[in-house]
Amino acid sequence: MKCVVVTPEKTVVDQDVRFVVAPLYDGEYGIDANHTPVVGRLGAGELRLTTLDGAIERWYVEGGFVETLDNTVTALTHFAIPVDALQLGKCRAELERALAMPAHSDELIAIKEEAVLVARAKVRVAEKQAKSK
Amino acid sequence: MAKARALDKRRKSIKNIRKITRTMELVSTAQFRRAMERAIAAKSYTDRIVRLVADLARAGLNAEHPLLAPRESKKRAALLILTANRGLCGGYNSGVLRSGLARLEELRREYDEVELVVSGKRGVSFLKYRHYEIARSFTQFDDKPAYDEVVAIANEFLTRFRSGDLDRIDVAYSKFTSLSKQSPVAETLAPLTSMTTEIESQSAEASGEVEYEFLPSPQSILEEVVPSAFKVKFFKCFLDAAVSEQIARMMAMKAATDAADEMISTLTTTYNRARQSQITNEIIEVISGASALQ
Repeated sequence: MKCVVVTPEKTVVDQDVRFVVAPLYDGEYGIDANHTPVVGRLGAGELRLTTLDGAIERWYVEGGFVETLDNTVTALTHFAIPVDALQLGKCRAELERALAMPAHSDELIAIKEEAVLVARAKVRVAEKQAKSK
Repeated sequence: MAKARALDKRRKSIKNIRKITRTMELVSTAQFRRAMERAIAAKSYTDRIVRLVADLARAGLNAEHPLLAPRESKKRAALLILTANRGLCGGYNSGVLRSGLARLEELRREYDEVELVVSGKRGVSFLKYRHYEIARSFTQFDDKPAYDEVVAIANEFLTRFRSGDLDRIDVAYSKFTSLSKQSPVAETLAPLTSMTTEIESQSAEASGEVEYEFLPSPQSILEEVVPSAFKVKFFKCFLDAAVSEQIARMMAMKAATDAADEMISTLTTTYNRARQSQITNEIIEVISGASALQ
């Protein structure tokens, strides 16, 4: 099975994998070989790839879509970095900034909620990575 | 001797200018390659987004999204003009500014307030000179605009559009169609009414391709795809502008180098003639002096 991760700037991953776990909007979604065609909405979170030699690669992705078709998993996301590159301190600061956003109209509340959700996911992934070290 | 020496001096200065224009041509060729690669990389993302929209349309979705719907209120619009930081690129900057200003006039007639946002030193100085009020300006975008930086701006616009602070967002930039064709255009990025027609035309021709399962639902995917499409379109404007700028500079510098070559060759001919006639004159003087002595 092939896995491709594309951002508007470049293709970050293009390799054969055994198994993919995609962070969908409402929970993680595992994709094995010969999966039925699916388009899923990605949330912010950790994308895990099990490579052919059994190693696990972790990427932090933020929004976008995942699509499976003909044994190819394509993730379209506007932001993807290796989990190692996340800095816990910076992520926490981002969460604080998001929590301090104004919310005095429906639209602003929606925008704030989104920012908080993304920042929380970032902190969660970064914390997990920090613990595993 | 005076005339020949003056000609030689001119020829030398033209040779120096030629060296500069030639170097600039080479530099912009290299930068163009880099910008082009990025544009191609972005294209694979854009294509996939477009395909996704087509798949959604086939799933029989009616396109309803705040970003897609035309706005009733006409309070405030924003116009972003993308120019270069540097000159010496032929008609690139003036072309973009002309189309930008034409759009600005249109918007001013329609909306109560129009906010002018400019990228590029050339545009900023041009508009300042003409006493236009610039709400914000950027000068950090050169041959390779970073997605993070562009998206930060796009997000800001998007937030303001969603909260009702802006009713329309337009961009004036130079669109890259092919190596031989780049044209200054002004496009409306929000509301994205063009996408609605795209979706409708796609669903009309609904063909029996792969049937996807949508998680959690087509509507939810649409919610995500629309802002993504906006951001990527926004980013593409910057990429197109960068590529077009380098092409324009390449062409302008090539023309300048060619013109310098031509000038050098005519000057060389004139110089040689002047030198020759001077020598002839001197010989005549010597001979006539010698014959006077006989």
